[in-house]
Amino acid sequence: MDLKDKKVKANPTKNFFVRMITRDIGLDDCILDLIDNAVDSAWAQEGSQPSELSSEIKLESYNIHINTTKDVFSIRDNCGGMSLTDATEYAFSFGRNEDSRTHEYSIGVYGIGMKRAVFKLGSCIRIQSTVVEDDETYSFLVPIDVDDWVSRNDPVWDFDIEEAEDLAEAGLQITVEKLAKGTASSLKNPAFLEDLRRTISRDYSLHIQQGLSIFLNEKHVEGWSLELKSSDVYKPAKVTYDDKEGASIVRVEIIAGMAASPPENPGDSESQSNDGDRKDGWYVACNSRIILAADKSKTSGWGGDSLPRWHYQYAGFIGIVLFYASEPAALPMTTTKRNIDESSEVYRRARVHMNKIAREWIDYTNRRKLDIVEAKSLEKAAKPVNFRDLANDQDSEVKLPPLKSTPKVKQANVLYSVDQKRLKKLANELGDINMTYRDVGIKSFDYTYDDLVGED
Amino acid sequence: MASFDTVNYSLRPSKTIERQLVFESVARLRACENIDLSRQAYIGLGSVWFTDFNLAHRMLRIEDMVSIEKDDIGFKRARFNAPFSTVRVFHDDISTLLPSLYRDDIIRDRPWLVWLDYDSEFDESSRSDISSLIEKSPENSILIATFNAHERNYGGNASDRPDRLKDLFGSSVPDDLSKKSCKGEKMQTTLAKLALDFMTAKSIDVGRPGNFIEAFNMPYRDGSPMVTVGGFLAAEETTEYANVVIQNQDWPCMPNKPIVAPLLTAREASALQSKLPCNTGLTRSIVQSLGFDLEEGQLEAFEKYYRHYPSFAQILA
Repeated sequence: MDLKDKKVKANPTKNFFVRMITRDIGLDDCILDLIDNAVDSAWAQEGSQPSELSSEIKLESYNIHINTTKDVFSIRDNCGGMSLTDATEYAFSFGRNEDSRTHEYSIGVYGIGMKRAVFKLGSCIRIQSTVVEDDETYSFLVPIDVDDWVSRNDPVWDFDIEEAEDLAEAGLQITVEKLAKGTASSLKNPAFLEDLRRTISRDYSLHIQQGLSIFLNEKHVEGWSLELKSSDVYKPAKVTYDDKEGASIVRVEIIAGMAASPPENPGDSESQSNDGDRKDGWYVACNSRIILAADKSKTSGWGGDSLPRWHYQYAGFIGIVLFYASEPAALPMTTTKRNIDESSEVYRRARVHMNKIAREWIDYTNRRKLDIVEAKSLEKAAKPVNFRDLANDQDSEVKLPPLKSTPKVKQANVLYSVDQKRLKKLANELGDINMTYRDVGIKSFDYTYDDLVGED
Repeated sequence: MASFDTVNYSLRPSKTIERQLVFESVARLRACENIDLSRQAYIGLGSVWFTDFNLAHRMLRIEDMVSIEKDDIGFKRARFNAPFSTVRVFHDDISTLLPSLYRDDIIRDRPWLVWLDYDSEFDESSRSDISSLIEKSPENSILIATFNAHERNYGGNASDRPDRLKDLFGSSVPDDLSKKSCKGEKMQTTLAKLALDFMTAKSIDVGRPGNFIEAFNMPYRDGSPMVTVGGFLAAEETTEYANVVIQNQDWPCMPNKPIVAPLLTAREASALQSKLPCNTGLTRSIVQSLGFDLEEGQLEAFEKYYRHYPSFAQILA
């Protein structure tokens, strides 16, 4: 057998490639990828720099509009656009060329976000850019008909580029039609759209606080604000330091403490009709983009070697960890920007600090059971402070009051089940239809006690 | 006390209009030759009056019908009052009966027309009935739900209502739902929208192959404000056809105003009717020339719905 000059074929087909890059990413993450690009451009316009919590407002002139109908998805921004060189040399190639430039302090690392996002959204794509360079404005359009592109068997994977009219402001506009089936049904789903609004509100809360405006279907997305409680006996922890990933410096900022009183009856989580502990846990941001939210898993230390698993008893705790690096590859995030790369040593070192603060909190929630009355009154007296304001404070350990046990009156627990409809009606008559089941029980007891027994 | 002891269903003009519009709309869908609804089965809460069952059989010629009644005495009365031989009355809770209806030999695999005409407010149990129906109803079914929209049922304090509605309708409720939209006249529209969003979201969430097409959004009021919502659970191949029928301008079940029919004597109603249809619109001076008087809003409502305005003598005969 003569194997000389024989080669095993290993060229990927376009079709395989498109399917593969879009398979493991959710639609919401794709949309966030497009927002990330706009945010990176906005920062580039402002001269790239770390946007630490305490820094000034920089992004107020930038806006991003996302619009969805059952047939069309579009996103447009006024964040400066993509230059012709960026388009022809970098933005559309799959994966970053070794010599490509990344924006400093950006969050787009692998050069895959935009393509992956538009391919996931649909198959008729128009990307239009208007740029001002040296006082000159120019515009171009990259139209992509995915089905056509996939079916053409060119060895070269290029897209066409055309001249285009100027957009109203320098920026990028992406329109996707012929939506993919799953995309179309999600964009029709009011719950998907509200959840997307919530995710944007949370994951870009730091940018929105910096003045960036994001609109979803022409309705402004309000930034989510994080507050921690503070008083003379409560104080959130603050830790800041510089770490190193290879040659890159990574700035780390941690702020954590009490956001709300822990639950009175931790066994009650099932019957809570309010938010429960939905917002509690750790938040991790990389170059201001929140990539992990309200985490109570092993990723942030709960149930790991140093801490017990998250329990409803710990509700009320919120912490945020911010990583900044001029080289985004140094940041501890995965390509979908939806999770931590736990192999990152920078992250694991930060987790040591996080665990220490969380441990203090766990101890406090145990301690407060000894004198719940005193604890509640102290907690009530603490005032919420926006975490941006905390950013200016000196580094400090978390401060939580020491509580001592007081002589206890013997308690009786009452447990009974009733028809849910009747309970809701009673709650409404007691003055709050959203009252917890437990409170309805206590109020009805007090009411009957007062009626039948009277004064103690 | 069960509602059939307190309300004589036939004496509610707005309800009568709403009911007729519903069946008229279903008839339009049935008339579409690309959607086969000929074997439609009706499922409802017939109470002891069976007004909807009568219409289903007379207007639409639906034969197989199921009525659900959980009250003990109500069940016996319902069984006695069942108007046709093909009406089966079940003594059960909706939530417990539904699973057996999905397997029922007579009606499974046929398009259903389900109307959960509750008197009470939308609550956790109506939510689970509706969710179950969206998940499991056969394709090309029509799902309609009517519930009480009185604001107090959703929280005595207006400020508690947004949270209550978020609790009931889940994540499709906007976080910034205002107290204002949960008060007074707005409450009906808010509830209808949230209920429809909930149904749409649910149908996508459970991956129904066809779409849920919103088709019913009718706030109405006789005494208490009520809301009727619902849609068509299309099969993949009927989606487009149903869209065409439902998105037609004169589809009657998504009026832009709540249906509030004036309470008129038979004499007033027939005098007014004799002036209709009327190109220029009924005016107060026309009414005054007839020898009585009505408010503008009452006139407008009558003119819009006079073809459906009940003439009670007929129904009670």
